[in-house]
Amino acid sequence: MRKTLWKASLFGLFMMGLFSGTTVQAQSDPTGKKSITNTYAITNATVHSSPGTEGRKASILIKNGVILGVGDNLSIPAEAKVIAGDSLHIYAGFIDAASRAGITKPEDPERPSDFVYSNPPDEIAGITPWRSAVDQFDIESSQVSDLRKAGFTMAHVLPDGGMIPGKGALIVLGDKESTNILKTNTALAANLNGARGMYPGTTVGVMAKFRDVYQNTKLTKERMALFASNNGVTRPEINPTYTAMSEVVDRAIPVFFEVENDLEVRRALSLQKELGFQLVLFGLEEYETVIDVLKGSGVGVLLKLEIPDDKAIKNQKEDVSDAVKAQYQRVKEAYDKTIAQAGKLAAAGVPFAFSTIGAKPNDAMKALQAMIESGLTEKDALAALTTNAATIIGASRIAGTVENGKLANLVLSTGPIFDSESQIKHVIVDGKVFDYEIKAKKKNGNGENASVEVAGNWEYKSETPAGSSGGTITIQKNGNGYEGTITYDDPAGSGKATSSLSDIAISGSTLSFVFEVNAGGMSISVDVSGDVSGNTMDGSMNISQFGSFPISATRNPN
Amino acid sequence: MKKRHIFLALLLSLSLNFSWAQTPKGSVLIKNGTVLTVTNGTYENTDVLIQDGIIKKIGQNLSAPSGVTTIDATGKYVMPGIIDAHSHVALDVVNEATSPIVAEVRMKDVVNPFEIGIYRALAGGVTISHAMHGSANVVGGQNATLKHRWGMDDPADIIMQEAPRTIKFALGENPTRVHGRGNGQQPRSRMGVEAILRNGFNEALQYKKAWEDYNQAKSQKGSTAVAPVYNERLQTLADILDGKIIIHCHSYRADEIYMLINVARDFGIKKLVFQHTNEGFKVAPEIAEYTMGASVFADWWAYKFEVYYSTAFNAAILQKNGAITSINSDSAELIRHLYHEAAKTQRYGGMTDDEALAMITINPAKQLGIEDKVGSLEEGKQGDVVIFEGHPLSSYAIPQMTFVDGIKYFDIQEDADDQRQRISPTEAVEPILLSEENHRCMQDTEHLFETASALFQMNH
Repeated sequence: MRKTLWKASLFGLFMMGLFSGTTVQAQSDPTGKKSITNTYAITNATVHSSPGTEGRKASILIKNGVILGVGDNLSIPAEAKVIAGDSLHIYAGFIDAASRAGITKPEDPERPSDFVYSNPPDEIAGITPWRSAVDQFDIESSQVSDLRKAGFTMAHVLPDGGMIPGKGALIVLGDKESTNILKTNTALAANLNGARGMYPGTTVGVMAKFRDVYQNTKLTKERMALFASNNGVTRPEINPTYTAMSEVVDRAIPVFFEVENDLEVRRALSLQKELGFQLVLFGLEEYETVIDVLKGSGVGVLLKLEIPDDKAIKNQKEDVSDAVKAQYQRVKEAYDKTIAQAGKLAAAGVPFAFSTIGAKPNDAMKALQAMIESGLTEKDALAALTTNAATIIGASRIAGTVENGKLANLVLSTGPIFDSESQIKHVIVDGKVFDYEIKAKKKNGNGENASVEVAGNWEYKSETPAGSSGGTITIQKNGNGYEGTITYDDPAGSGKATSSLSDIAISGSTLSFVFEVNAGGMSISVDVSGDVSGNTMDGSMNISQFGSFPISATRNPN
Repeated sequence: MKKRHIFLALLLSLSLNFSWAQTPKGSVLIKNGTVLTVTNGTYENTDVLIQDGIIKKIGQNLSAPSGVTTIDATGKYVMPGIIDAHSHVALDVVNEATSPIVAEVRMKDVVNPFEIGIYRALAGGVTISHAMHGSANVVGGQNATLKHRWGMDDPADIIMQEAPRTIKFALGENPTRVHGRGNGQQPRSRMGVEAILRNGFNEALQYKKAWEDYNQAKSQKGSTAVAPVYNERLQTLADILDGKIIIHCHSYRADEIYMLINVARDFGIKKLVFQHTNEGFKVAPEIAEYTMGASVFADWWAYKFEVYYSTAFNAAILQKNGAITSINSDSAELIRHLYHEAAKTQRYGGMTDDEALAMITINPAKQLGIEDKVGSLEEGKQGDVVIFEGHPLSSYAIPQMTFVDGIKYFDIQEDADDQRQRISPTEAVEPILLSEENHRCMQDTEHLFETASALFQMNH
């Protein structure tokens, strides 16, 4: 799929070259999808050009994907499409410094008949440094549109796989007709996850194997140099792993190491100290005790853009013993501490950015607002989304601020970006404008402003990459609120499974609820939101970490 | 130029000092206790002064230097911190079970200083544990010797950095079950275990020679010698042959114990300790003559076929034959009352108080190569001390305070209901998995026998 896109775009380039100069003017656009102009002017908006600078009224001129001017007295060319920005706040497009949006993990290669679990081939053991995220990326994935909708315009995508999945690529989250590639071979992705049922199977094995791969890459390079300049030297054994690792050993590209907590931070840092590669840590969730260590190490830091689930706190009961109360208190403290970490890290002077791997882009702003409430300054939050991210991925020259000459990657919001009332109205990527519907703010709970009745039995259908599926949603009134259940294909096998609905809310004609699916011991939360009209509902189903998918339902007449 | 070098060297040594952050060291005067030195007898109404983490003086009527806290231990017993020569507490991973030899893996990479088991061990008077790789492989990973400095954030701060390297070996049913029966590879039998060991050491000799030849050739002018492949697994085995690493070998049967003694003798290995060693009593003279002894359970057996021929007199028989003998836990539960386990050698074998206490102090210290630093109350040793209410070998003994390097990490008077350092923000009640919390010699190997898992629930 990805490869065909590549080929198609290359073919397109080739054709354009052939006919340029003679037929471009005369070409029509039978699809009707081509934009009328590539020039835009956003007039009289409040522009926040960089983190920490006051927003000031200005207009912005964009042409062919580049910001051509930011100021008061821009002369706007006739071909420019004008977006009235009077009520809008403009920010530089957000950058996801480590992303797996639109990435599909390649299928595991088949095990050879003489497979030995104690010495598996690199490819099967998850050691695939030669793979590129570009080959796993699909711009049309719903994860990409979700990310873009949250204000992200650029992503440093990393491949999915085993302990060394491969090389990253820097892409813009732009038009589906383009490859959107800014740079390939940006970094080597790595993590501490073992392969299943073979060597290296655990973190200790992975660390030992990483040392082994690194040291033998070094030795292979030495042998190759010797072979290249001398006669009578045995031919060095060249393999794809060592060839692809060579840039890491040369410190030409950094290793992006996935780490979740302080202990994993220290593990990755100990490998770095021992071996000497360049390092960026991503995915941090629990890091309070290593803030000084991170600061001292000078490595790049990417926090997971997520706050912990507050279910354990919400579900705390009132009538419990003092011992249980004390336990509750500690959970609450742990929760508060977790959210306050980002502010402390910024205060310590670590210029971190974010990674959305494992996080839901739809909840990104909620997470940021919680971090800000707990001490992160808005300036640092914006820097993490823009300038810091650009620095860490080496894209400061082209992205991160609203300035002349930078890529036309912008977020247009109805108010100050971190304001809970604000909504993103447009996201401009690479000069292409994506529009979003502004909704009346949802209210949780009993549907004070509800204009529809949702109770009843609904038959629903949804489309996911795994195919279409469906089931029944049952909703009843319960006091002032609602309760209900949903059935769906049991991920554990055949038949249907049932979950109860939570957070059922109606706002205007929008019904929303959440349910949990248990898949192989892992609980996955699914957010559903849809527009109800009569006995039909149309909307989307957001499955954490997997993206959002369409869902439609009809109500059975009683 | 020279000056610059000296300056750089200085800088380097400075930065080294910085990176090996000083672990906390304390001073305390423990007054009027019954001091069980283990190596030099017992003294009534005696004081122990620890200064900057080191036992400065043991004697009567000592006075506290200014600023040093005094603790009244009248009527109480003061003994050296208990040492557990076989534990898996504070490890995030126990088994890299995926190859018959994994000498290259380092348990120091996966030490977890937040694990509550450390505090519970302190509450049982244990100040040092030997955090071992599991027993799924013939040659397991390199172990870590831990000092129980509860409250440290950095794993490096609970690792006893001055302790020598040790490595886990395993014989018998565990490695043959994982590799032979579980996955159809060598070793499938005890003979296969021996073959793995001999082949491994022979390969290590070749590896060592290849590098020695290369390094020598490289020093010649104009050399075009090609470097051999780097292999930390073989390098580690070579380090064992060079006497740089102490082997701690999981074993049960007399024949396999004697087999390893022969392998060790053939390869000139002298640093060897047997773990579990349930049939050690049958080969006690050989263990005494050729090894650094055995670390055994007090009375624990019959959990699988190879452990049926056992006796509670094992420790005493080994000891009487002159083998260095220690009692270990291999368990996050037993580690909390190793003093009871040691006392069992008095009931089964008539050990004296000092002999019984030695089995959980100076003897395990010898087996870990740290007997010059810990394991007894002697001036100049590290200030790892436990204060007991009641004699530690009494059924009524209760540890009161536990010190590591003169710092108090456990005090029964200050023991809160919830001593956890890490609390999950997303779990109202954290799950406690009994099978994982307890004996973990075979932890992390489950995936290797998914099909037959119901048949193999044994863990030791």
